[in-house]
Formats: sequence, structure tokens, C-alpha cells
Amino acid sequence: MPEWKKVVREQMTALNLPPGATEDIIAELAEHLAEAYEAARARGLTHTAACNRAMQEVDDWYVLAKEIRRAKAEEEFTNSRSKRLWIPTMVSLLGASLAMRLMQLIGVRPDPAWTAPLVVSFYWPWLAVLPIFGALGAYLSRRSGGPLKFRLVAGTAPVLWLFLLSSASEPIDLAVNGLSQLRYYAYGMADLVLIPGAALLVGALPFLFDSNGQDSPRSRT
Amino acid sequence: MTKRISSKIARGSGELAILSLLAEEPAYGFEIAKQIGERTGGALKFTLASLYPLLYEMEKKGWVEGRWQTNSAGRDRRYYRLTSAGRKQLAPLREEWRAFFHALDSLAGVSHA
Repeated sequence: MPEWKKVVREQMTALNLPPGATEDIIAELAEHLAEAYEAARARGLTHTAACNRAMQEVDDWYVLAKEIRRAKAEEEFTNSRSKRLWIPTMVSLLGASLAMRLMQLIGVRPDPAWTAPLVVSFYWPWLAVLPIFGALGAYLSRRSGGPLKFRLVAGTAPVLWLFLLSSASEPIDLAVNGLSQLRYYAYGMADLVLIPGAALLVGALPFLFDSNGQDSPRSRT
Repeated sequence: MTKRISSKIARGSGELAILSLLAEEPAYGFEIAKQIGERTGGALKFTLASLYPLLYEMEKKGWVEGRWQTNSAGRDRRYYRLTSAGRKQLAPLREEWRAFFHALDSLAGVSHA
């Protein structure tokens, strides 16, 4: 069978959409051509005749690319990345931050998980609700067709933000206070990033893959 | 034999045809084209070139939602389902086409089935 994705990719040079959107469209059109080819073969056509029959689905590839670009452009350029990544990321980040703030306001205090050699404390109720925000971020990204990496980022955004903040300040801390600070950094990572990250991941996990266990084909190309 | 409807008319009625089909169950592009062709006895025929711009336009309007799924044979297909906005759109569209046929019938004796 012909490599339909290659055929479509060669023909759709005028599409000029963002890479993610382009790959999705190419995958979908290639699948259509493959089905048209197979249907023609099932009717007894030769390989060449079936290829020709499939290619008759499109009179003018340039016009098709232009029409698809017109139909997709506004949405893809302005909304797609926002819907697949930024909005879900903001939802989980804001949700987790507000939950923490709310708990602090109602008097929830961190309880020590262990005390030696360093005291490491957690807001246990906050850890308990974190899976909800992990799930929400990953779900919103999946619903908008976000690939695995977007779902992962959206689901774990609250700790990614803390990780970036901690990592940015750490070199200064090490320079000022010496390498002994690395131990505190490691405990800080466990306290602020690893354990909350695990809680977020627990919630996000069911939404990292589609119901059939697959990620979007777009992210596999 | 059913007479093939010209592509301009087919395109105009495409939204209604697709919405009606998806109101029954989600379907992927090739299946949508095939079902419409079969159910209209070949009078309405969608090719890849006529179907996808329309589907993407409808997706942009929020009437349908496409989502990749893999079948048991490991084949990736983008299934379209009707959204609640699309479902709301179906009744007025049907009414619009009824009014159109009625008007055409009054004018030119074109009766719809």
C-alpha cells in the first residue's frame, strides 16, 4: 500500500499551519485515502487502479490546502495551543494555589512528616486534594486534543512552577552558603516538588492517554 | 437510479447531512462520506476534498468535536461527535431546509420526499 502520509505531506505544502495542526490534518487525510484505496481493492480493482481511485478524492490539492487553512486558521493560530496547553495549565496551577491559600486561611497548618535529620512538613489536606487539580489539568488538555507532553505539563503545572522557582534560586544559595546547602535543596525538592508532584500525577494519570490507551497520533509523528 | 446532486447544492446541504448523521452516532471522515453516499443512493457524494474543509469549519463553530481513537486493528481514526451546540443547531437547520423546499415547491413545483 502507498505511504499515504507521505503523499499527503508532499501535496499539502500550501497548508502553512502550525506543525501540530498540520500533522493532525495529514494523518487524518492519509487515513481517508488509505480507506478509499482499500475499499477500491475490496471491489476488485488492481493496485494501480485503486491508487488512482483514491487520488480522485481530490481534484486540486492546492485548493484543498487553501480551504482547510481557511477553515482551520483562525482556530489553530489563536486558540489551539491555548486550549491544549495554556488554559489547562493555568487551571491546575490556579486551582492548587487557591486550595493552598484557602487552607491557610481556615487555619490548616503543615504537619511534620519526619523530623530527623531535618524537619520536613506537609499540608496533608492540600496533598489530598492535589490529585483533583492534576486530573483537571490533564483532562482539559486531553479534551482539547493535547498530546501527552501537554497533558503532563498541565497536570503537574503547580510543581513545575515550584521546581523552576527553587532551581532558579538554588545557584545563588549555593554560591552564598556553600555546598552544604545541597542537602536542604534536596529536602526542599521532596517537600515542594516530588511528593506534591506524585499526588498530581496520581490524578493526571487516567487522562494522560486516551480511553484506548493511546496518545494522539499527532504526538507520535 | 438516483440523480447526482451538483456539488454546490451538496455543499450547501452538507452541514445538515453531517449533523443528522452524527446525531445518531459518532463517525470518522471516511465513514461519514460513505454513509451519506449510501443513504442518499449516491445523490449526495462527499469526497475528501469536499468533506474535510466542511468538517473543520463545523468543528471551529463548535458543532462537532473530533477526537483520535485507535480501533482494535491498531488503526488511528479521528471520530467526530455532535456537541450540544451542534445538536441545538440541527432543528433550525432542518426547519430552514423544509422552508426552502416549500418555497421551491411553490415556485417551481419541486416537491421534496
